[in-house]
Amino acid sequence: MMKIVDTKGLKCPAPLIKTRQTLNEAAEGESLHIIIDNPASLSNIKRFLKDNNLGFSEKEENGIWTIVVNRGEVLPPMENIKDYCSVEGGHTGKKVVVAITSDRMGEGDDELGSKLINSFFKVLPLIKPLPEAVVFYNSGVKLAVAGSPVLEFLKEIETKGVQLYLCTTCVDFFSLKDSISVGKISDMYQIINVLNEADLIIRP
Amino acid sequence: MAFDLLTTVEAGGCSAKISPEILEKVLAGFPVPVDPNILVDISTHDDAGVYRLTDNIALVLTTDFFPPVCSDAYEFGQIAAANSLSDVYAMGGKPILALNLIMFPSSRIPIEVYGEILRGGSDKAREAGVTIIGGHSIDDYPPKYGLAVTGIVDPARVITNSGARAGDILILTKPVGSGVILAASRMGMAKEQELAAARSYMKQLNNEGGRLMQEYNVKGATDITGFGLAGHALKMALGSDVTIRLSMKKVPLMEGVYSYINEGCIPGASFRNLDYAEKHTHFENDLDYNLRMASCDAQTSGGLLIAVNEHEAEKLLTDLKKSSHPEASIIGRVENKSSHALIIGN
Repeated sequence: MMKIVDTKGLKCPAPLIKTRQTLNEAAEGESLHIIIDNPASLSNIKRFLKDNNLGFSEKEENGIWTIVVNRGEVLPPMENIKDYCSVEGGHTGKKVVVAITSDRMGEGDDELGSKLINSFFKVLPLIKPLPEAVVFYNSGVKLAVAGSPVLEFLKEIETKGVQLYLCTTCVDFFSLKDSISVGKISDMYQIINVLNEADLIIRP
Repeated sequence: MAFDLLTTVEAGGCSAKISPEILEKVLAGFPVPVDPNILVDISTHDDAGVYRLTDNIALVLTTDFFPPVCSDAYEFGQIAAANSLSDVYAMGGKPILALNLIMFPSSRIPIEVYGEILRGGSDKAREAGVTIIGGHSIDDYPPKYGLAVTGIVDPARVITNSGARAGDILILTKPVGSGVILAASRMGMAKEQELAAARSYMKQLNNEGGRLMQEYNVKGATDITGFGLAGHALKMALGSDVTIRLSMKKVPLMEGVYSYINEGCIPGASFRNLDYAEKHTHFENDLDYNLRMASCDAQTSGGLLIAVNEHEAEKLLTDLKKSSHPEASIIGRVENKSSHALIIGN
């Protein structure tokens, strides 16, 4: 039996947390393949394994390292293992980001467009897995103000760990700064980063 | 809804400080300044320089700045200022004047955020009795903030890294673990109450600790910041030519820290600090792994590590607890130099 821990794209210390978690779940004699794409995480994980007396082998191919650990000794049990969120978000599934570019959904009738965006956000919290993030720009930022019909759904996905990013220029343009009730006001740098790191972008 | 400063820092950017190992290598090639009025310089691993002006007054000079450690701009300003002022208290001095050092991306972040950072710094400086009389700003991303601080101290009463003596008792004034809590926050693991507690420790001035050190005639102390408890204790041991023994089970940890480390939430800075410390450190064989990593956790605006005469230790501890440091604890002792400068056990 073997387990694969794919830490590619994860930022420090998420690779170590994932390794620690999987080590804990691995059965006696099971081998663990940890896939790592940055030297800092590699060095920290190796050090962690060494200090916990876990033997491993290591190979590198095109800047991607694979560390194979044969689960020998049993680590002390972990506490609070259930309290994970964003670490789970980075797992083997795709990184999905929703881009909301307008306060309506689709082209055509405006009234219909408003109805559709309302039902979009009503349903979104029920989708599994939830997207990593939702970015709002242009008139999309109007959905995040006090009194917005979708505010409660946005708050719901935010508490479930979905990051909501609101374009600061757009918030200023519509003079909404004081009525924004959910999400983080972000600059273009942040928004481009979020979009750039996504595997899949949904634009309703 | 306020701008979230943490969105400007790369998730998991670990600690922004350059590794102590690299720093020592780079500085090794520099000539040591020669001037009889320089009472403390980099050679004793201290954080601030001390320069004698007259027989009764010496200047204490220090600076420190870093990228955001929390979401709220005002709170970040307070933490950065408290951290910058701390070095003066650690040297037994009284800070009097400061300059703002700020790097801020004016075209990318709402300009109000800039004002809030400076307001936080200014309020914290006022609490310390310090006036900010100027500063310098650079357009840069992500933002960074801190102070350059000038303090004064009686040249005969300078407290340094090299003032610890065998027999002294070691007291730590704040709990350890802000690095782990900040990483847990980036990972979405930390609970709001743990974050709030960590922020309040980071915002807290070390002024009361500094005042009490002078009252008890302390000669050796340091503040715990980026190199972690182990790194700073080691610098003190090397500077004082002694061996320091720490009992990690006596070190107060911030709420949540032990279990986050246990889950693998160990910032990269801890590993850098471990690499640095271990050359001169004996970690006892039965030392709990999680406590070993806690000893290496990089602190932001951490507490004072005070070496006090063993006969005065209990009294100083009582006074610290009565002041703004209820969690002050005796965490170790100073011994004659042996094979390792630092010994860390359970």
